[in-house]
Amino acid sequence: MILEIKGLDKSFPQAGHGRVEVLKNLNLEVHEGEKVAVVGQSGSGKSTLLSLLAGLDRQSSGSLRLRGQEISAMSEKKLTQFRAENIGIIFQQFYLMPHLTALENVSLPLEMFGHKDSQERAQEALQQVGLAERETHFPHQLSGGESQRVAIARAIVIRPAILLADEPTGNLDNATGVQVANLLFDLVQTTGMTLLLVTHNTELAQRCSRQMTLHSGTFQ
Amino acid sequence: MKNPSPFFWSKLALRELLNNRRFSLFFLFNLALGLAGFIALDSFKESLDNHLGQNSQAILGADVALTSYLPFEEKTLNILEAKFPENTLSTRKTSLFTMVATKDQSRLVQITGIEEGFPFYGKMVLKNKGVVDPENMRQSLALSGEAWAYPELLFMLNLKIGGSIKIGEQSFRIADTVIDDPSSSFSSFGLAPRVYLGFSQMEETGLLTKKSRVSYQRLYRLTEGTDLAGLVVKLQNQINNFDGSDSKIRILTHKRAGNNLGRLLGYLNDYLGLVAMIAVFLAGIGAAYLFRNYLVHRFREMSILMSLGATRQQTYRMVLWQLVFLGTGAALIAIIMSLGILPLLPLLLKQFLPHGFETQINLSSLLFALVLGAVGSLVFCLPVLSRIRTVQPLQLFHENIGDQAVNDTFWRQVLSYLPLLVLSWGLSVWQSHSWIVGSAFVGMLLSSILLLGALAWGILALAGKLSQTSGSTMKRLAFRNLQRNRSGAISCFLALALGTLLINLIPQIYQGLQEEVSRPDDFRIPSLFLFDIQPEQMGPLRKTLSEEKVHLNYLSPMVRARLEKVNGKSFEANIEEVAMTREQESRQHFRRHNLNLSYRTELSDSEQIVSGRRLASSYDWDSGKPAEISLEVRYSERMSFKLGDLLTFNVQEVTVEAIVTNFRRVQWNSFQPNFLILFQPGVLEEAPGTFLGSIGGLDSSRRLSVQNRIVKDFPNVSVIDVTRMVGRVLKISDQMVLALRLMAYLSILAGLVVVFSIARHEVEGRLWELNLLKVLGARFSDIQRMIQIEFTVLGIFAGLFGVAVSLIMSYGIAWWFFENLWKWTWQTSLASIIGVTALSVGVAWLATQRTLRSSPLSLLRCA
Ligand SMILES: Nc1ncnc2c1ncn2[C@@H]1O[C@H](COP(=O)(O)OP(=O)(O)O)[C@@H](O)[C@H]1O
Ligand SMILES: [Mg+2]
Repeated sequence: MILEIKGLDKSFPQAGHGRVEVLKNLNLEVHEGEKVAVVGQSGSGKSTLLSLLAGLDRQSSGSLRLRGQEISAMSEKKLTQFRAENIGIIFQQFYLMPHLTALENVSLPLEMFGHKDSQERAQEALQQVGLAERETHFPHQLSGGESQRVAIARAIVIRPAILLADEPTGNLDNATGVQVANLLFDLVQTTGMTLLLVTHNTELAQRCSRQMTLHSGTFQ
Repeated sequence: MKNPSPFFWSKLALRELLNNRRFSLFFLFNLALGLAGFIALDSFKESLDNHLGQNSQAILGADVALTSYLPFEEKTLNILEAKFPENTLSTRKTSLFTMVATKDQSRLVQITGIEEGFPFYGKMVLKNKGVVDPENMRQSLALSGEAWAYPELLFMLNLKIGGSIKIGEQSFRIADTVIDDPSSSFSSFGLAPRVYLGFSQMEETGLLTKKSRVSYQRLYRLTEGTDLAGLVVKLQNQINNFDGSDSKIRILTHKRAGNNLGRLLGYLNDYLGLVAMIAVFLAGIGAAYLFRNYLVHRFREMSILMSLGATRQQTYRMVLWQLVFLGTGAALIAIIMSLGILPLLPLLLKQFLPHGFETQINLSSLLFALVLGAVGSLVFCLPVLSRIRTVQPLQLFHENIGDQAVNDTFWRQVLSYLPLLVLSWGLSVWQSHSWIVGSAFVGMLLSSILLLGALAWGILALAGKLSQTSGSTMKRLAFRNLQRNRSGAISCFLALALGTLLINLIPQIYQGLQEEVSRPDDFRIPSLFLFDIQPEQMGPLRKTLSEEKVHLNYLSPMVRARLEKVNGKSFEANIEEVAMTREQESRQHFRRHNLNLSYRTELSDSEQIVSGRRLASSYDWDSGKPAEISLEVRYSERMSFKLGDLLTFNVQEVTVEAIVTNFRRVQWNSFQPNFLILFQPGVLEEAPGTFLGSIGGLDSSRRLSVQNRIVKDFPNVSVIDVTRMVGRVLKISDQMVLALRLMAYLSILAGLVVVFSIARHEVEGRLWELNLLKVLGARFSDIQRMIQIEFTVLGIFAGLFGVAVSLIMSYGIAWWFFENLWKWTWQTSLASIIGVTALSVGVAWLATQRTLRSSPLSLLRCA
C-alpha cells in the first residue's frame, strides 16, 4: 500500500465567520502501481485533496500516510525533503521557470540537491517525453502541449513513488490533450509509477484503473 | 540527501537578475547614483584629512614648538630645552598682527620674524628667488633688512616688488613675494596677508611691546624616532611646575597644528556628507520600490521552487543573493561614476582648499561603498523582503484564489524598518561627526517623511473623492488610479517632495544671509572693526575720530584670562585625548584656549537674556561674594555649565571667582564686539586689558581714509575692514552653496529616476487594463492624458509641499542660527513647483511611451 487516507477533513476559515468544510471524512487506499482518477465538478475539492497529498497544505484532521509515513507528523523540513524524493507534481498551468531552458527546468529538482548525474538524467527524461531536440528552448518558445511535456519530464525525473497530476490537460486543446495524456499513461505504464490524477474530464478518467467521484467533499 | 553544488543558488539568483534586465539596470543605476555622491564626498574628506596630516609638519614648520605671549627667559628655555634629545635643531620666530601703511593705503597684516632654519619642513617659494634656502634668507632678510610679502598685499596696497612699506617705526623694502608658504595653507581667508622679516629686524619696528599681542615661538626639529608624545608630557609637567608667566607657555605639536586648520573644512565636509546621505536615502526609497515590484513578480517562481523541494530559507537566500549582487554592482558603478565627480569638488572649493590639495580615490571609501551597497540594499529592502513569508506554493493549485494574505503584525512591520533607522542614524552621526547634528538630521528627515507621507495619504483620499465626482472619464480614471495604487503614488510623491525640499532648503537659508549683508544702506553691520586699543589711547583716539566726524560704537574692554576651576574642581584639558566627534573637538578647543572676558552695564542690541536674571550693576569688593557673570548660551551648553556654577578665573595671575548668573543669546552675525563671558562692572576694571570697538556707516572711500588716519596716529591699533571681510565670506559661501547645490541636484536626479521607474512599473502593471480601454474605444491621446493628469497631480503637490516644508525648515534654521535673517522669494518657490511638475510629467511620459503604444493585441496573448 503506497497511499492510505483515513477520515481526512479539511476546512478553511471563511472571510466573514466560521469555517467552510471542503473535504469531509475522506477514506482512500491506493496500491503501488495503481492509476486512480479523482473526478468531480469544479469546486468539489479535488485540488485541495492534491495539495494535502503533496504536503503543500495540512489537513484539519484525519490521517494521511504516504509510503507508510504519516505526512502530518513530519516537520516542514522533513516534508520538503520527502516531497523532493517521492512526489512528482504536474500542474494544470505547467509552471515552468520562465528564464530557464527546457533542460534546465527538468534538471532543476536534481541540481537543487546536488545530484551528479542531473544532466544525463534530465536529458533522458526529455527524451522520454519526446523533446530531446528542444533542450535549449525557453518556455516562451514552446507550445502549450510541449510545455506540459517538459513539466511531466520535470515531475518524473526524480523517479517519484507517486505522481500527482492536477488537470494536466485542462489548459490544452482536445487533440493536444489526448497526445499529452497518451504520453503520460505510457510513461506511468513503463515505469510502474503510481498515478493519482485529478480531472473533470470523464474520458481521461476512464483510462485509469479506478475512478473516484468527489462530491461536496466526500467520495461517492 | 545531498546539498547542491556550492554556487547553485547564487547562479540561479544571478540568472534571474540577468533575465529581468530592465529591473536590474534601474535598480543598479538608481542606487549607484546615490552611492556615487557618497563615495565622492567620502574620498574628498579622506584626501583632506590625509593632506592636512601629511602637511602638518610643514604647517607648523617643525615637529614641536613652544609659544608664549612674552619673550622667553634664557633660564626657562634652558630648563625646557634640557628635556629635548641631543641634536635637536631649533629656530626662533615671532609674529604679530599690525597695520602697515603706504602713503595712502593701509592694511592689517601678520608680520612674522624668522631666522635661518625656518621652515624645518616644507618649502617656502619666492617669486624671483625660488625656493628659500638659509643663504638667501640671510642675505635678504637678515643682512639687507628686506621684507618678503604675500602677493595679495602688494595688490591691495598698489605696490610692486622693490617698493617699500612702513611697519611700525621702520621702513622695509619688499624684495620678493611669497608664492608658496606651507605654513599658511589655510590663512584665515587671506584677511591678514603675511610679511616676513628677519628675526632681529622685528625689534626695529618697535612693535614688540606689551601693547601689541606678540606671539613668541621656538620651533624644534627632533631627530628621527623621537617619542613626541613622551616629550610633550615631560615638557608639560615642567611647565606646570613653573609659576608666573612661564606657566603659560604652550606646547604646539605638528599634529595639532594640522587639526586646527582642518576644522572649518571639516564642518563643510560634514554638511556635504549629510546632503550626500539624502541622495543615498532617495536612491534607497527608489530601490526598495523597484525591488518590491520585482519581488511580487517572482512569487510564483518561488512557489514552483518550493513545490520542487526548495525550502523557504533557500528561497530567501536566493533573494538575498540577488540583493547582494545588485548592491555590490551598484557600488561598482558608483565607484566609476565618482571618478568623474571627484575632480569637480576641488574646482568648486578652491578658495577653501589648501595649496597643492589633490583628491585621491581612497581605498577605504571604496570598500565602504561596497559594504554600504550590499548591506544598505538589504536593509532598505528588508521591509519588502518580509513579504516572502506570504508565498505559499499552495497557490499553484488555486490560481483563482490569489494572494493568501499572511498578515504581518504591526510590530513585525515596525521591526523591519528598525535596521534602516539604525543604519541611517549611524551613518549621519558618522558623516557629520556630531551626535547632535547627526541625530537632528535623521530626526528632521524622519519627521519630514512622516509629514509628507501623511499629506500624500490625505491627497490620495481626496483623489478618491474626486474620482467619484469630477468631470471627464479620463480624469476620473486618473484619480481612481492614484488612489488605488497608493504605495507607488506615495513613493513618487516622497521622492519628488524630498528632492524639492533639498533643492530649496539651502538657497533659502542663504538668501536671508545674503539679503542682510548686501543691503547698501544698512548700517547694522559695522564698516570698521578696531581692536588692541590701549586704555591710555582711548582719549586721543576719540579725539581723532571726532575730527573725522565718526563715532566709535560698542566700545568694549577685553581682558585675557584662563578658566582654572569649575565648582572648585580643576579644569584641565586632556591634550592627548583624541576627539571623535565635532562636539568633543570644540569642547577641547575651548578648554585649551585662553578666554577673552569683558564687562559692561547694558546688553547690546544683538544680545538677549534667555535665562537667569540681569547682572547687578556694580560689584561690591567688601561683600566677599563671587562676582556675577553672564555666559553665552551655546557656549555654556557645550561646556555643560549651569546657572549658579562657581567659576574660578586666573586673570593675569590674580584669582577671580564668579558665579553664573544668566545665559545670553548672541546674534554673532551682527559683527559687533560680543563675548562668551561678560562680568558685572567693578571687577575687571583694574586688570590690564585692551579695548575694541566698531565704526559704522562709512562708504568705501571714507572707510579707507578713516582707516589710514587711525593707522597713522595709532600704529598698534588693528583695523579690520568688516565690509570687505563680509564680501569675502560671502564669496566663499557662494562656493559652499554651489557645492551643496550640486549634491542637491544629484539627489533630485535620483528622485527622478525613482519617478521614471515607478511610472514605468505602474503602466506595465496596468497594461491589460489600458489595452482594454483601447479595445473599448479610448484613443491613445486619452490614455496619455490620463497618465499626465496623474503625474501632474503628483508633481504639483510634491512641489508644493516640498517647498512648504523647506520654507518651514529654513525658517526654523534661520531663527535658530541666524536670528531672524529670513526672506521668502516667492519666485524661487513658484519656479520649483512648476519645474518639479514639468519634470514629473515629462519623465512619466518618457517612461510610459513605449508601453502605451503597445498593441491591444497583447490582450489575446497573455490569457
Ligand atoms: N485557501 C482557501 N481558503 C478558502 N477557501 C478555499 C481555499 N482553497 C480552496 N478553497 C475552497 O475550497 C473549495 C474547493 O476548491 P478546489 O479544491 O480548488 O476545487 P477544485 O479543484 O475541485 O475545483 C472551493 O470552494 C474553494 O473556494
Ligand atoms: Mg482545481
